[in-house]
Amino acid sequence: MKTSLSEPAHNPFLPRPSTTRRVELVVRWGLRGLTYFILLCISTILLTIAIKGSQAVFQAEWPYINVEFLTQAPETLHVFEADGKTHELSDSQFRATYEANGLTPPPDRTYAHAGGGIFPAIIGTLLLVAGAMTIAMLLGIASAIFLSEYGSSGPLLRLIRLSILNLAGVPSIVYGLFGFGLFVIFLDWNISLLAGWFTLAFMVLPVIISASEEALRSVPTGFREASLALGATRWTMIRTSVLPYALPGILTSSILGIARVAGETAPIMFTAAYLLRDQLPWEGLDHWYDFFFQGVMALPYHLYVVSAKLPQNAYTERMQYGTAFVFLIIVAVMALTSILLRIKIRSRHNW
Amino acid sequence: MKATPPQTEFHLSRRREDRLLGVGRQALLKAFFGGNAIVAVIVLLLITFFLFREGLSFFPQYRSDMELFRRSGMEYSSIVKQEHNQFNVLLGQLVNIRKQQIETLESKGLSREDIARQTAPMQAYIYSFSDLSLPLRNYQIKVRDLASETYKEAKSNAIEHRDAPGHAHDGHEHEIDYAGTISQIKASFPELTALNNQLENDILRVLREFPELNDPALRSEAESFRQNAIAFAAGLPRYAAALAEASPEQHVGLMESIKAFLFGDHWIVNNNGHSLFGLLPLLTGSLMVTGIAILLAIPFGVGAAIYTNQMARRGESSFIKPCIEFITAIPSVVIGFFGIAVFGTLVREVSQVPWLDWLPGFPVAERLNAFTAGCLLALMAIPTIFTLSEDAINRVPRIYAESSLALGATRFQTTMFIVVPSAISGIVSAVLLGIGRVIGETMVVLLCAGNRIRIPDFTEGPGVAFQPVHTMTGIIAQEMGEVAQGGIHYRALFCVGVVLFLLTLLINFAAQKIFHHTRVGE
Repeated sequence: MKTSLSEPAHNPFLPRPSTTRRVELVVRWGLRGLTYFILLCISTILLTIAIKGSQAVFQAEWPYINVEFLTQAPETLHVFEADGKTHELSDSQFRATYEANGLTPPPDRTYAHAGGGIFPAIIGTLLLVAGAMTIAMLLGIASAIFLSEYGSSGPLLRLIRLSILNLAGVPSIVYGLFGFGLFVIFLDWNISLLAGWFTLAFMVLPVIISASEEALRSVPTGFREASLALGATRWTMIRTSVLPYALPGILTSSILGIARVAGETAPIMFTAAYLLRDQLPWEGLDHWYDFFFQGVMALPYHLYVVSAKLPQNAYTERMQYGTAFVFLIIVAVMALTSILLRIKIRSRHNW
Repeated sequence: MKATPPQTEFHLSRRREDRLLGVGRQALLKAFFGGNAIVAVIVLLLITFFLFREGLSFFPQYRSDMELFRRSGMEYSSIVKQEHNQFNVLLGQLVNIRKQQIETLESKGLSREDIARQTAPMQAYIYSFSDLSLPLRNYQIKVRDLASETYKEAKSNAIEHRDAPGHAHDGHEHEIDYAGTISQIKASFPELTALNNQLENDILRVLREFPELNDPALRSEAESFRQNAIAFAAGLPRYAAALAEASPEQHVGLMESIKAFLFGDHWIVNNNGHSLFGLLPLLTGSLMVTGIAILLAIPFGVGAAIYTNQMARRGESSFIKPCIEFITAIPSVVIGFFGIAVFGTLVREVSQVPWLDWLPGFPVAERLNAFTAGCLLALMAIPTIFTLSEDAINRVPRIYAESSLALGATRFQTTMFIVVPSAISGIVSAVLLGIGRVIGETMVVLLCAGNRIRIPDFTEGPGVAFQPVHTMTGIIAQEMGEVAQGGIHYRALFCVGVVLFLLTLLINFAAQKIFHHTRVGE
């Protein structure tokens, strides 16, 4: 007993070193390396945008948040040298400083879209998301209820499910193409909020239907049977015994859908988004219904434009990284809500 | 007669307000939900229908356009243009030699004047060589002008015809003199033959005056130029023969227009009123970017899935999983922005490092190329592949692993030889869905792939990955905003959309089939 303790090398249960074990070790560490490399890449992207973007959104002195960036519309940026220093002023400030005072402006370089803020784009994105999700959820959840509660399984239902499943994989640009052809040109809605809503709604519709159906189906059959056995009608059964338990799941999938809708650029590029629009959506309307037939600015499209069309330099960086940062935060909040919601629901409903 | 409520429902409640127009409330509710489902399905069918209607009507239009092109003699002009382009390729080779010459001299640290003096003979040679093509160019312009006038006339006529078909019979339509143009062009054929003979002699004469080059690397380039030039000179009669062979009266079939779309290698919009819509450059671009992305994403996605499910500790895997899943939430335009602002520049800077020269394609000429886009797309495909593969591995029945372990296999052996192979169908379908996601991605390729509409030069070997490309999704996004509605360009873009639609549908369908057919343990 004493000898075996003092000489652990003789322990017959210890694995002996061999080629197999060495290969195993290499593969294990290789896979671990791959996994953490992905995380490294993703954190590099997020950190780059967060660090540079926060410089645009936050500032050192009171009120610590760059209010102008979050509340103004994009403007042309003027960059000029005066008193041996480089100044950057957005167009309206530039005019206020010089033209209003009757001074001659110094020679300057201008960068379109690089000054001002992104308020209209934030508003536009939120409007687009809200409208599209309302349409998609009304249509999607009702369809899912029919498919899972009313529809009797047969070849027709299988075909519908199959087509919905397949349509979920169709590229977003194809939906954009469809929306452009049908709403913008064929129905002559022009580039408008309405066209964008429907395009985006139809894009997420397959996802919402299949996810809601999944949530409905995960409610145990016993609940339904118990309710029906007590004499409830089918609708009462659905309302009281199925929907309350499925609704959290439906909401989770819907919020994921929201994140997707908010992040898409391709479908709204030529159905709803304007490059620049001075007025906010509720300003300057002749009739109340004009609200629906106007294009809006949107964060994803704005980011595309400022990153593709502007040169990369210190003056345009603020707009580029700032937009990406704000956009990322909005989408991340949505995605995080859904993840937290899912975790909470999973722990609560454990049938 | 009172309508009886549906027999399948058992009603305890018999209140009056439950009925509306003799239909039970339950039936109404069912109809409401059913109606919604029908609306949803109709909408999705409508998308398919509308897409195909717009997309497929491209072919007849393209056919008639091609026919006008041929009848008006533009085809002749394009043949002469091909000859001229071929000549310009030779010229480009010469210019390239001179560029290399300058670069080597610069690297030796010579002053600008010295370089200019040393490369002067080459410069003079380039001028004299390019002068040779002047008569050819004049001839091409002449033929083009003759034909394009007729072509434009015919085209505007066709548009009028389409917009107001009733007017065609009241003598409003003026006759277009196709035959006159053609005969005029045909009359000029001897001119081209004479011109080609002259050009052949000139090229062979000028080749003898090629300036001396000291650099052995440049000498081999010069030799390749010489051979190309001789081959070009020898092949000149080919163009005259092609001119003689082309028959403007020949009818263009619908199949021909479909072939011209699917296998055409040029996508040129509005070149002298004529557009070429060849899918091949876009298709190769899409496939190349997707290929690069998937080659990168498979090891990472599947490897991470195996590691997370089989090897990681519980805490570790519950940290890794949401992190990788979070990538899905990052908007593609943000990733594209990162590519254009940081990653593209990084790739080019890394490629300038001298001791990496042995890598194919290095140093990279363009900041934005297929590789840049492919890397970022790989990142976007990883969560799809990871999540679905992890699911598939997780679904392998425990008894498989337990039997293996009971027989004395180690955990590692069980993972690699039992669990992962059992999940292989799930992994394959995960990879397919990843491909589907990548091929339909728009913003990253639009921002990072370089947007050059040309079939990449595959003679470069693996270095081809560093050339800029354009993709099917990219072209739709880029050109859709500026097209005239209902025009041929608009329809062509819809046609690209149809191809994309079918491609992704096929991939999705295959993924589902593989997944369901070879599922283990059920």
